[in-house]
Amino acid sequence: MAEDQTRAQLQRGLRVAVLLVAAGSALGLGLLNLTQNLHRYGSPAVQFCAYGALTAVLAVEAVLVVRERPWSVWRTPAIVVVLAASAASYCALPDGRTSTTTDWIFGAANWVGLVVLLDRPLRTTVSFLVAHELLAFLNLLLFHDVTRSSLARFATGSVTVFGIPLCVAVVAVVLGRIGEEAAAAARELERVRTAEAVAAASHRRRAQRFAELSATAVPLLEGLADGSLVPSDPGVRCRAAIEAARMRRLFAETDDVENPLLHELRHCADIADRKGVEVELDARGRWPVPPVPVRRDLTDAALTVLATAGSWARVTVVGGDDLVSVSVVADCGELALPPPRTPGVQVETVGSGATTWMEARWQPSPN
Amino acid sequence: MAAEPELITAVIVDDHVAIAAGVRYWCEQADPPIHLIDAGARLAEVWTGPGAEADVVVFDLELVPGQPQFGELRRLVDSGRRVVVYSQHADDATAIKCIDLGALAYLTKREGPDHLVPALRTAARGMPYTAPSLSGAIVADDTPDRPRLSPREIEVLRSWFASSSKELVAAKLHIGVKTVDTHITRVRIKYANAGRAASTKSELVSRALDDGLITLAELNER
Repeated sequence: MAEDQTRAQLQRGLRVAVLLVAAGSALGLGLLNLTQNLHRYGSPAVQFCAYGALTAVLAVEAVLVVRERPWSVWRTPAIVVVLAASAASYCALPDGRTSTTTDWIFGAANWVGLVVLLDRPLRTTVSFLVAHELLAFLNLLLFHDVTRSSLARFATGSVTVFGIPLCVAVVAVVLGRIGEEAAAAARELERVRTAEAVAAASHRRRAQRFAELSATAVPLLEGLADGSLVPSDPGVRCRAAIEAARMRRLFAETDDVENPLLHELRHCADIADRKGVEVELDARGRWPVPPVPVRRDLTDAALTVLATAGSWARVTVVGGDDLVSVSVVADCGELALPPPRTPGVQVETVGSGATTWMEARWQPSPN
Repeated sequence: MAAEPELITAVIVDDHVAIAAGVRYWCEQADPPIHLIDAGARLAEVWTGPGAEADVVVFDLELVPGQPQFGELRRLVDSGRRVVVYSQHADDATAIKCIDLGALAYLTKREGPDHLVPALRTAARGMPYTAPSLSGAIVADDTPDRPRLSPREIEVLRSWFASSSKELVAAKLHIGVKTVDTHITRVRIKYANAGRAASTKSELVSRALDDGLITLAELNER
């Protein structure tokens, strides 16, 4: 889905940006502070180990970003590593140097933790930042002199150490929400478009159906309405029966049935049956489903004969892979049948006295 | 052929009283009339008494509903009886199976006196009668070992099934009614020559060969 892809791209961009910021502030700035104050540390090895631990976490994140993978089960160990590195670095800090450039990890570990927790809910990031602050504060309380200046340094340092990563975390959450909303909006748009297309298609189908009926049924109805055609006229009654059968067939065309041709023929035969004509319908063989225009041609002649039949009619279908033949024999006298419209269909009529036999054949073109 | 029409006797085995009564009426109305013996649902009366002498047996395939009596049909045919199957069922496989077993005619109960009376007369002569329903079944027959029919034969069968009037078939195909009959009979000879052997079938084939209705080469063409 396109919207999911956009969302993933957005999150990846944010992840890369935060990783670069973290690498800059934790590794770049951290290394600068570390080397400049190297003479002050009692045990530089501990500091380098802490630095190495943070570098390792960021390296893993870089690999994960490239492979587009989340931290999943490695998240907690990574956070433990970050906090442990901080604790170790604090313990080896010279006296009175909390929240100074010598305390390089105070402004570095927060970024590394943020990187690991970027896709987690805001409260997780806040909890980590609070833990990070608490660790630094405990260090100040337990191992250093709590003076006005050390407290002031801690407070001012915390503004950037706590505040800036928090802002980034908030932005991440907001961006995530925007992404979700964009995806939802895109889905809604898609749904509306589909509904519109369906409505347009059914409107087109209805308009087409109406157009198909309008050529023959509408003049009949208009004639009946304005009185120029009278229902007592047998010719009018016959036309009405034909139109009724056509409508029945039209409605039956969209039914989902195994054998549409027989299904539509049954509907046509039903109209004759209601008129009191004794209709016999018999089908033999199996045949491929003819397309709608062909079915119309095959049934059109049949329904005309059926609608005109006096008292009886025999409707038969014989089909195979190479020929489908629909026949109606009925006592309907001479008839003028509409010519078939599709090229593969032939209609033939044989009359013998009052009995007329109409046969419509369709030869499926081999393909 | 026959200068003096012989009185045909038929025996009907059917558990429906109305069917037997209807067939009796048609037989009485026929010209010349056909003498009908009603065996009811008792097959024994076809084998003994007046029923045993009847020229034709009108046999209801489903004396027990849902169980077509192919075995009884086979016994009747094997003992040389000329059988017209009169069945409620119109499925193609049953119709084909009946003629394969050696029945001379297969009619569905929708096919009335227009077909039953000619079927009785034809069967009495040992010749096959093909009603429109059977004709349709043969056209739709797609079993692998079916006899090979010519396009014209198929056309005639299809037309006969569709119109149920030999006059209409003749008019449509621009042939004589007799030719229509010949085509239909030839198909039945081909069917009689195929599949299971039965005395009625071999009688048919040899007579058709004698009459020149079909040649040996045509028969062996599979």
